[in-house]
Amino acid sequence: MAKKKKGQLLQIWRRLKKNPLSMLGMAILVILVLTAVFADFIAPYPYDLQNYGAAKQFPSKAHPFGTDNYGRDIFSRVVYGTRVSLQIGFISLTVGALIGTVLGTLSGYFGGRTDTVIMRFTDILMSIPKVVLAIAVASTLGPGLVNAMIAVAISSIPSFARVARASTLTVRDQEYIEAAKVIGAGNFRIIFRHILPNILAPIIVQATLGVGISIILAASLSFLGLGVEPPTPEWGAMLSAARTFIRDEWYMVLFPGLAIMLTVLALNLLGDGLRDALDPKLKA
Amino acid sequence: MNDRNSPLLSVRNLTIHYITDDGIVRAVNDISFDLEKGKTLGLVGETGAGKTTTALGIMNLVPDPPGKIISGQILVNGKDILKFKKNELKKYRGKVASMVLQDPMTALNPLITVGEQIAEVLRLHDKLSRADSYIKAAQMLELVGIPSDRINDYPHEFSGGMKQRVVIAIALACNPQLLIADEPTTALDVTIQAQVLSLIRDLIKKYGTSMILITHDLGVVTEICDEVAIMYAGQIVEKGDLEAVYEHTGHPYTRGLFGSLPSLAVKAHRLNPIEGLMPDPTDLPKGCAFHPRCPDKMPECVSRTPVVIETEPGHFVRCLLYE
Repeated sequence: MAKKKKGQLLQIWRRLKKNPLSMLGMAILVILVLTAVFADFIAPYPYDLQNYGAAKQFPSKAHPFGTDNYGRDIFSRVVYGTRVSLQIGFISLTVGALIGTVLGTLSGYFGGRTDTVIMRFTDILMSIPKVVLAIAVASTLGPGLVNAMIAVAISSIPSFARVARASTLTVRDQEYIEAAKVIGAGNFRIIFRHILPNILAPIIVQATLGVGISIILAASLSFLGLGVEPPTPEWGAMLSAARTFIRDEWYMVLFPGLAIMLTVLALNLLGDGLRDALDPKLKA
Repeated sequence: MNDRNSPLLSVRNLTIHYITDDGIVRAVNDISFDLEKGKTLGLVGETGAGKTTTALGIMNLVPDPPGKIISGQILVNGKDILKFKKNELKKYRGKVASMVLQDPMTALNPLITVGEQIAEVLRLHDKLSRADSYIKAAQMLELVGIPSDRINDYPHEFSGGMKQRVVIAIALACNPQLLIADEPTTALDVTIQAQVLSLIRDLIKKYGTSMILITHDLGVVTEICDEVAIMYAGQIVEKGDLEAVYEHTGHPYTRGLFGSLPSLAVKAHRLNPIEGLMPDPTDLPKGCAFHPRCPDKMPECVSRTPVVIETEPGHFVRCLLYE
């Protein structure tokens, strides 16, 4: 019956493949994820093994990224840090994005009083700088990995709510939404089947930028002693801990910094490509 | 069910206003009409005459806010759909009454294949399984003249005329009793218009669907409709069988409409448009709404609102000339 029965995901994948930069980003991300999963096998030393005899060593064969002021192998810590940072970044962002998107979509779709209540709530969240908000949440809940994630998630809700609401407002008045009402579709169906997929592109872009921001935000919390507690290796925390040594032992900040940069870059490249691939209107 | 003579659709004294900050827009003012099973009614009028609002009213989809159905009844099979609960409305829309929207370019969800969009309505109403809904969707595509192997294509892969065919397929998928076509050919070019119109005509004849065709093209009406209703400023000013309205035109506005059409038989250098513009619907003139533009204006027209008069059996005119 159908001459080209191919799944939607396959089509998106085909379009994504045409973009070399996003493939690069995806490759980096895959490597990072694999690193996180197989950290136990990749890292030559445990992340918390201290060796004062070999403190502050310049990168060498035994310690490719050098060692820190406690003599811990920086390479191992960066490898394990991948696990922590990606975890915080993705989980907190996913939670924040889900809540924010649902709130924003409901707000935009129903309008009126629903809209007022939800948007004033996000306005309040937005009026507080992200870092301060995260600090407030984290200091209320106490330090720790999970609490840091909750703090980061809450602070990412308003930006998603706004993006989702703005996009919903434009999609809501499209004729195909009216057409969906005409065929007897309910609000739930219209929101989740007709509106959400159509506002996904800006949300994906927001999310790719957001993961980077979340990773940095989590790092800031760790720096202030409100996030991940030592000796758990977290890139941002490593950066903060090493910053006093930047003058003579620059490699202590270089590698965690590079790791953050590489992750954010990979996410941005992939996100851009995904946005193009997800939009069939741009399909050549 | 009802006895055979009762109409499928009966609109009684329907009044719909849009309540905005700039005033009350009187979009539909006290209109009444019936539509028998299997008949086609042409709803003709200028932009802003209230045609689309009437149509949305029949679907009970007037956007609220700002729209409000002030009064009236819309009886479909004898039941007032304005009193329907949410669930009843869901079952009514798409199954009993369906609608073809004006612009096929935006009436399809760009992210969902056309097949899925047809299948969706079938699954919603006829409770078909996924596989069955696709089989039926393919049949619907063939029915509107699109090869069924295009079932997995996205809307942007179709031309405007084909999109409108898909929209028609969606509207007719569940074999509704009433189809509202809101200027289905306005966005299409002339050759495609003719194709789409004959497609609609054939399909509703085949399935015995009643239709309300909204248009501002009097030529289109003669091709498809059995009856015609002329709307002006939210009121039906003249209604009757095609022949009655075209041959014994009653209302000065209808005459004006015909006068502004080019004719092959009569050679004219200039057309005769109706002078002036449609009145502002937030500030309708007193008396007859058409009096400022009417060539046959009488002193009473300014003060007295005309009522509907039956000038010959089945031919209704709302004009003081006949009172």
